[in-house]
Amino acid sequence: MALIEINKLTKEYSSGIFKRRKVLALSDVSLNIEAGNIFGLLGPNGAGKTTLVKVLLGIAFPTKGAAKIFGKNVKNHRIKKQIGYLPENHRYPGYLNGEEVLNYFGLLSGMKYKDFKDRIDELLSLVGLEKWKKMKIGKYSKGMMQRLGLAQSIINNPEIVFLDEPTDGVDPIGRKEIRDILLDLKNKGKTVFLNSHLLSEIELVCDRVAILNKGFMIKEGNINDITAVSDRYSFLTSDIGDDFINKLLLNYNAVIRSKNNIIFEAENIEKLNLIIDYLRKENIFIHGINREKDTLENMFINLIEQQKQQHLNGN
Amino acid sequence: MVINTFIKGIFREALARKIILTIFGIISFFILILILLITNEAVRFLLSALEQTSGGNMKDAVILFQSEIISKTPLLMLMCSYIVIVSAFIPSMLKKGYIDLILSKPISRFQIVTGHYIAGTVLIFFMNLLLFVIIWIVISAKTSVWHFPFLYSVFWFTSIFAVLYSIVVLMGFVTKNNILTIITSISFFFPVTWLLYWLNKYFEQDTQNIVFSSFAEFFIKFFYYLFPKVWDIQDICISVVKAEPLPDNYFVSISSTVLFTLVMLTLAIYYFNKKDY
Repeated sequence: MALIEINKLTKEYSSGIFKRRKVLALSDVSLNIEAGNIFGLLGPNGAGKTTLVKVLLGIAFPTKGAAKIFGKNVKNHRIKKQIGYLPENHRYPGYLNGEEVLNYFGLLSGMKYKDFKDRIDELLSLVGLEKWKKMKIGKYSKGMMQRLGLAQSIINNPEIVFLDEPTDGVDPIGRKEIRDILLDLKNKGKTVFLNSHLLSEIELVCDRVAILNKGFMIKEGNINDITAVSDRYSFLTSDIGDDFINKLLLNYNAVIRSKNNIIFEAENIEKLNLIIDYLRKENIFIHGINREKDTLENMFINLIEQQKQQHLNGN
Repeated sequence: MVINTFIKGIFREALARKIILTIFGIISFFILILILLITNEAVRFLLSALEQTSGGNMKDAVILFQSEIISKTPLLMLMCSYIVIVSAFIPSMLKKGYIDLILSKPISRFQIVTGHYIAGTVLIFFMNLLLFVIIWIVISAKTSVWHFPFLYSVFWFTSIFAVLYSIVVLMGFVTKNNILTIITSISFFFPVTWLLYWLNKYFEQDTQNIVFSSFAEFFIKFFYYLFPKVWDIQDICISVVKAEPLPDNYFVSISSTVLFTLVMLTLAIYYFNKKDY
């Protein structure tokens, strides 16, 4: 059984005071997330990523469909005892200091102070805020707030952590530290649900990803599968002469990256073997063949563009 | 457990916003005035004046003075100040980025509303306790009359606040703005309930009603019974302090006011329960 089950979830918002207008934030979104994964939800601004997380956490209510976490309906607030959340643009009362924020939200998470008082220092140290724990958070920088937010989201030692743009405003070193924390959570068997538009970040840490656009789920799968391009292969070879390069360009529509790195398109295994045979026949040594992978960013942009085109054609 | 956390949070916020410090300042100011006014000479003069005129004693004078302290004008001033103090609690909780965090915790929306309501009421209870106990000590020490029923005002004034706070909570959720919350809540308290109180007093008099039509009278009485009777409760408080019999309509006043408070809180919970954040 999946840890998070989302079944045909639809969310419509009403906007406007006098003339009510329906805005579709999510449309028939279905998704299953297994335990112990880092799951990345991608999408451009306004895709419905934050809405989906809010529905899962009971902050907003679905118009249609249902969602379950730990096999229980998300309307059941008790399940949140095992959930941590870092919202985008989170805000804490400015008169509290870092230590007090963790104390307050630890208590609201249903824990007893004695059960998490040691964890406060441990987490502040983990996110690099131990020196500033007594400083009022009104004086914290954006990056420090993100670090504190991350510590807050795991104060209750949750099984699932929802993080909405956790590296927003954080410097590259801080980002690396946050990534390490996420991987550490994964190693401890925790599930991380990551909302981000920073595709490179997602690519580095996520096991599975889903792409939302205008409320529709347009792609979902394992990150290795989703970024694989099935018919492009990178050949590492011995040096190839210019004459032979011209032949390859002419007969195989190859892309030459260098004298010993050529990209071939092969739609099936027979075609791939034909290319290998051809190279071997010309006494070219093959050092390696790799299936070319597109970057998540390229794949993401292509999918969004395709959907835009389909939408235009449909209209 | 959750309510305890909210109470701590509200006290922390009140401390940070210098609310508690301001209240201390106001209380100290009143006490200073009392100390200056109630000099030993003034007490002796009052006692001799009472003996010469109506044969009254010092206790009657003290009770009269105490009942003036809890009369309508001080109640109005105190409650308006309290509304201003607590008006920001709900709108500040509803700010984007903070409400998301609160709602992501294992607390029901019912607990969030009631927790904030109880926390705000407890804060004002302690403020009333401080105010009335110190006033009582100063008066009693100066006059040597230790009239305990005056201390019941702490509970009565807290109850009046609790009624008004239910309106503040509902308005806070609906408007998400503390200025609008203050304006709507204070206008409801004064003049709406105040006018209804005096108009009802007018209708209860034996003299014939020549000002209002029977429809207007019905309309006014309808709203009088519908809305909380905070000024009638203040009458009950004065009766308790004066150790006099309670007004005839005390049960209706208390029960309908409690019912109104519950309706306001239910509406606040219902509204909050339906709202997406």
